[in-house]
Amino acid sequence: MPTASRKYGTTAFGVGLDKFRPLETILSYDDFDLGFHGWTELTTNYQQDTVAIFPGSEFKIDLRPPMLSSATFPILGTHGAMNGTYSLKLATRARAAGAGEGIMPGSFAQCVKRLTWQDLGRVQFEMWFTYKPEADRPGVGENELRAFGVLWDIQDSQHRYFPAVRYLNAADGVMKQKWQFAQARAVSDEEWSGGVATTVSEDLKSAHGPQRGVDPQWYGRRYRDGSTDGFRDVPEGGQKLCYNESFNKINWHYLRFLVDTSTRAYVELQCNDRTFNLRGVQPTLADAYARIWNLLNLALWVEADTNRRCFLFVDSLVISTGPSRARPTRRRGKGR
Amino acid sequence: MKQIHTAVLERNGSFSEDFATEPYEAGWAEEAIFFVKIDDVEGIDPALTAQVQVSPDGMTWMNEGTPLPAVKQAGGIFTRVRHFGNWLRLTCQVSGTDANFSGTIFLCLKG
Repeated sequence: MPTASRKYGTTAFGVGLDKFRPLETILSYDDFDLGFHGWTELTTNYQQDTVAIFPGSEFKIDLRPPMLSSATFPILGTHGAMNGTYSLKLATRARAAGAGEGIMPGSFAQCVKRLTWQDLGRVQFEMWFTYKPEADRPGVGENELRAFGVLWDIQDSQHRYFPAVRYLNAADGVMKQKWQFAQARAVSDEEWSGGVATTVSEDLKSAHGPQRGVDPQWYGRRYRDGSTDGFRDVPEGGQKLCYNESFNKINWHYLRFLVDTSTRAYVELQCNDRTFNLRGVQPTLADAYARIWNLLNLALWVEADTNRRCFLFVDSLVISTGPSRARPTRRRGKGR
Repeated sequence: MKQIHTAVLERNGSFSEDFATEPYEAGWAEEAIFFVKIDDVEGIDPALTAQVQVSPDGMTWMNEGTPLPAVKQAGGIFTRVRHFGNWLRLTCQVSGTDANFSGTIFLCLKG
């Protein structure tokens, strides 16, 4: 099957795109030397009759604005990006709750890009990234960043679901360094999200809350070992990434995350030299929501483990699509 | 065409003591405006004052020299800054008896 780099050639985008392995159709190539490309802070929903968030969503009002960073650090000065000067930077505040507690506002930075899909099939996210806690104090700091992750938020004619992967780096200061995928444990919707309303119903007359599986980066009980009701370990998913030897040195990493919306299933996760086979694994399916038909959102997040700011830097990324290899596509949504 | 971006540094915050906005990298921009939108004010003789600060590393902060006009009631106020290097923040002081300000702080960048 032709790859996009063969299709477009390296001359169309230069070396910037050639370091990716996109599928046939590139929906978005986001080089952060050129702007934000629609990546914006995620904000929570509002009630129908008042400009007020839903009670219980307080931790979602401070997911921190992303910035275009030159990766300027103390002692060293400016790193710049992998190519060019700027990367997209997610930054937490200098705070965190314990790994077994609920999310403290500001300790969790998340941004989102909002798209819709045309055909069911494979969708792939790739990025060159790095991560670091703030170099504001002595100490290597590797065990002060809890996790970072990538999340698809997809809706077809029947279901909303969230294929997501995260790198659990540390929990309460204990190194974990493993990949996990989102798949909810067998808990009730009440146990999953606390029964709080988060979205207005289709008829505007009521509101409902997240079912089990929705927004796994936040919901589901959290445990002191860093596990949650929303994520499970990738088999043989331990991977020690190049953090470097000091608090002010960064190295760029490659990530590729492939899912198939025609089967509503994970396919593959790659980080640097490791490729994890996730074929046959399904994210948790929730009922479709009003107003988000054909939703194809992508989110990135980073989470602090201590009272030290934590950062995720993304040099560039590519979102691409292609036909499913599992079965014929064009299972179009009907009967809404 | 120039780039422009507005970041919400504090959203519906409640400010009753001195604070600073989170460090924000803006080296790509040539000009910036800090907007402070106050929705509600409480206390006796409340006043919110602020100064723009710059930094070489996002940790060592110095007054850039641009103050924000004192805020004493609900409403909007802003201050402009140029030639700021990379890092920007607004450091704010709250004075008065039982003073509290509720509102939002925006940083609008263009370059």
